[in-house]
Amino acid sequence: MIIDCDVHNSWSSSRELLGYLEPYWRDVLERGELPGGRDSFPHAHRPWLHPEGFMRTDAVPAGGGTPGSDYELMRAQLLDRYDVEYAILGGDEGIEVSTLANPHLASALARAANDWMVQEWMGRDPRLKGSIVVAPQDPSGAAEEIRRLGEHPDMVQVIVSSGSQRPYGDPVYWPIWEAAAEMELPVAAHLGGQGGVNANPTGTGPPSFFWEAHALLCETGMGHVASLIAQGVFEKWPGLRFVLIECGVAWLPAILWRLDADWKALRKETPWLDRLPSDVAREHIRLTTQPLEQPKDVRHLWSALEAIDGERTLLFATDYPHWDFDDPERVRIPPAWRERVLRENARELYRLPQSAAEAAAPETQRSSA
Amino acid sequence: MTPTGSDARESVVTPVAGEDAPGVYACRSDEIQPGERVIRELNGRSVGIFNVDGHYYALRNRCPHEGGALCHGPVTGTTLASTDHRFVYGMAGRILRCAWHGWEFEIATGRCLADPRLRAKTYPVVVADGAIYVLM
Repeated sequence: MIIDCDVHNSWSSSRELLGYLEPYWRDVLERGELPGGRDSFPHAHRPWLHPEGFMRTDAVPAGGGTPGSDYELMRAQLLDRYDVEYAILGGDEGIEVSTLANPHLASALARAANDWMVQEWMGRDPRLKGSIVVAPQDPSGAAEEIRRLGEHPDMVQVIVSSGSQRPYGDPVYWPIWEAAAEMELPVAAHLGGQGGVNANPTGTGPPSFFWEAHALLCETGMGHVASLIAQGVFEKWPGLRFVLIECGVAWLPAILWRLDADWKALRKETPWLDRLPSDVAREHIRLTTQPLEQPKDVRHLWSALEAIDGERTLLFATDYPHWDFDDPERVRIPPAWRERVLRENARELYRLPQSAAEAAAPETQRSSA
Repeated sequence: MTPTGSDARESVVTPVAGEDAPGVYACRSDEIQPGERVIRELNGRSVGIFNVDGHYYALRNRCPHEGGALCHGPVTGTTLASTDHRFVYGMAGRILRCAWHGWEFEIATGRCLADPRLRAKTYPVVVADGAIYVLM
């Protein structure tokens, strides 16, 4: 059995949110300008358009609609197919609220998306767990939303886009960290939000092509990791965990080596930090595996992942139903790590109880995951 | 870009009365219009049978990259190799893109465009008396 830490459930039309919006914002969604026509979700789109669309083409529901919108198909293609113990749902377009200039609209849409998640998806299948999406450009509104839903038993993390206006350790975001720590929820940054007010997804200015940009978007992850550690967010809230979703993993060892070396020389800049950045990362930062890097010789990947204690810091994810899906039966994780990476690390992070099915599985089946 | 490797185009045979079927029966040939495909379970394997301009090809419905649902992907054309930053669209209707990660395969040969060492499994096809048989 596996725990899948990046699954996208989606609405087929943003109009599904109308019933969850407060009256003024409902009027805006109903009558206002939308970026991609009547059914589209208010957001600023990334400047790279995928030339084949963004979805697995076998994941379109038979009756039409967006991949990820049909629970029965998700059950067949993912939950049952791969013997999923839990799937952590992150929604899909919801995190793109971070691209909007209007923080009030962004938070209103996030609240509607969260109520939609709870009403339409939670309770439907005990394997499904949800994420609370918030608008980071509205830190106090985001904190309020985390406290509003933080005690819901099925909502297991806070989620924002990796694209941001500032790196997430910046004190402007501290109300979000404070609320998440209070509610004992991990905060995840998922690849996305590379447009609109989040104007700096890469350091050189925009790449030209989708595949070029997609490979480089791990840059946002680097910035957040460095910022959270340097600003002392984990010293201030020692219970916090930060999850990077879909930002790649193999770059992390090199960045931590550099951060360690520079901190040793210039620790006086951040007197609140009294240990190596790599030690902080090992304790507080988790990364989802998909899309796991694919070197010709897998030993090169595994030796890099050993340097970040991958056995304890990686969380398996498929990214269903997106185009760069990783198959748990083929993903190149060291065999000795599989039980932790494909399941137990997520169980500890999200404090998920052992499911009845998992408890009933024979030991041999469980350890082979 | 020209196709390399053998073209697995079907052969057309006239069955002799009483002779065994020339392969595993897949479907009637008029069930697949040009540009379309059917996917059938044959000998316990999921196989896609494609009609490309009136010729039939069979590929295993399993991508050699990551095991994805190859034959559920779109049939398209693609850009041909060029040296001067021009975009030359070609091979229209002859490319199958995997439903998962979008890797491109030439339907006739199973050859992967990005990595010619990688091939999707193809099967010879026999058309006999309006029926399509796959040799497996």
